[in-house]
Amino acid sequence: MIDQADLLAQFSDALAARAELAKHAVVAIRLAHGRHMTGMVWQSDIVVVSEQSLPRNDDFELITAGGSVVTAGIAGRDPSTNVAILRLAEPIVPPAIATGEARTGAIAVAIGADGTGGASARLGLVNLAGAEWHSSRGGLIDRRIVLDVSLARREEGGPVFDAAGACLGMSTFGPRGQVIAIPTATIERIVPLLLRDGRIARGWLGVALQAVAVPDALREAADQSSGLMVMSVVDDGPAAQAGIVAGDIILSVDGTSTHRFRRIARYFGSDSIGRKADLRLIRSGTVITVQTTIAERRAA
Amino acid sequence: MSEAAGKLAPMGRLRVAVYAPDRLRHTALSRVVAEAGHIVVGVRDAADVVLTDGDGLPGETRPVVTLGGADYDSPGVLSRHAGASQIDAAIRAVSAGLIVRWPGAIDAGFGAMRETDGHALLTPRELEVLATLAEGMTNKAIARRLNISLHTVKFHVESLFRKLGARTRTEAVAKASERRRYETITL
Repeated sequence: MIDQADLLAQFSDALAARAELAKHAVVAIRLAHGRHMTGMVWQSDIVVVSEQSLPRNDDFELITAGGSVVTAGIAGRDPSTNVAILRLAEPIVPPAIATGEARTGAIAVAIGADGTGGASARLGLVNLAGAEWHSSRGGLIDRRIVLDVSLARREEGGPVFDAAGACLGMSTFGPRGQVIAIPTATIERIVPLLLRDGRIARGWLGVALQAVAVPDALREAADQSSGLMVMSVVDDGPAAQAGIVAGDIILSVDGTSTHRFRRIARYFGSDSIGRKADLRLIRSGTVITVQTTIAERRAA
Repeated sequence: MSEAAGKLAPMGRLRVAVYAPDRLRHTALSRVVAEAGHIVVGVRDAADVVLTDGDGLPGETRPVVTLGGADYDSPGVLSRHAGASQIDAAIRAVSAGLIVRWPGAIDAGFGAMRETDGHALLTPRELEVLATLAEGMTNKAIARRLNISLHTVKFHVESLFRKLGARTRTEAVAKASERRRYETITL
């Protein structure tokens, strides 16, 4: 007969051993007012952090495993995938970690930095592992990973491991405090681009848009039931230069209908910069076409 | 003024450093702070609270109230569109050692692009009517402003209520601004 108390102790010991090892996979990033957030050691001189929570400074102080303080500079940030990278002034030894695949219902261990060179640990499940998705900032995230784990703000940005010790991704907060993970695959895709350019270039028109229903009288001419109404235009942006004004309803960009946000977000990838695009739009009750040149999105 | 009142008065009057890169915003925010009875001081001067428009200066150690900033670790986080009474309340609360958040800051987080529900999309005319509702205009005034009949105004208002799931004008305005916050995309 199996000793159940012993099984539970083994499970607990295994988790504690993991947490002890995982301290080498995280750093604490010092913030104002004695607070910190967590970063994931990605390679010997690169730390991955949650972009949305990283202050807009150039230089940071990090506390590495064991408690020594290392300075790091910002090397790139991509709000569209919530990935930012810091370059360490002196290299540290990164732990060897395999890439894991999230499965709904599997155990997830989220690790944070405790701020003194150790790790903090959270245990839960992968609440949901789904298909790829687009962030509201237009970035493609390779999988939807929702975690059934509570997380403190200081732990955001740490790695999430599966039961085998493979890394599923970086923990971060979704809307309403939901804890999600940015998949390792997404980070692997974005980090080399950030190392090269410091940012992920995106196409830009310089407009804020809101979806509206096309008025009944114009449905036939427009040949679609919804479009994106221009709410505001950035001064000197490509749209302003092309004479786009608030109130115009954009129906399509180079034949890509604005009916679905995702398709439009995909259209404005880095390859769209410099492209001449025909905007089909409704202005004063008629459908017209205006040509613009897509520019590169300015730094936030 | 009694002696006790004289001692109490400074509690309600705080030294507030206003930091705003945009000069017009700096002027506007300084006025809000002054009209709330506080003393506006320079960014480097001794201050009880720092009010920053967007992100503040790095390395700030005094309590900060940020308007639309990305640093959610500030004691005070308000919307960029916060009103005068909210700014005053936040300044006082933060100076007393409390933490202030507006509901939108709690909703913040790395979220998905939302596809809008086609059936509930508003028409451009409905958006115009909504803007007049936000101004608190009566149906008659709306009809005059938009040069349409009273009957048409009622039709649009009912349609707005239905699409937004609202029962009152105030609720319709609130729900529409909520929707706009989540569903505005920038290209």
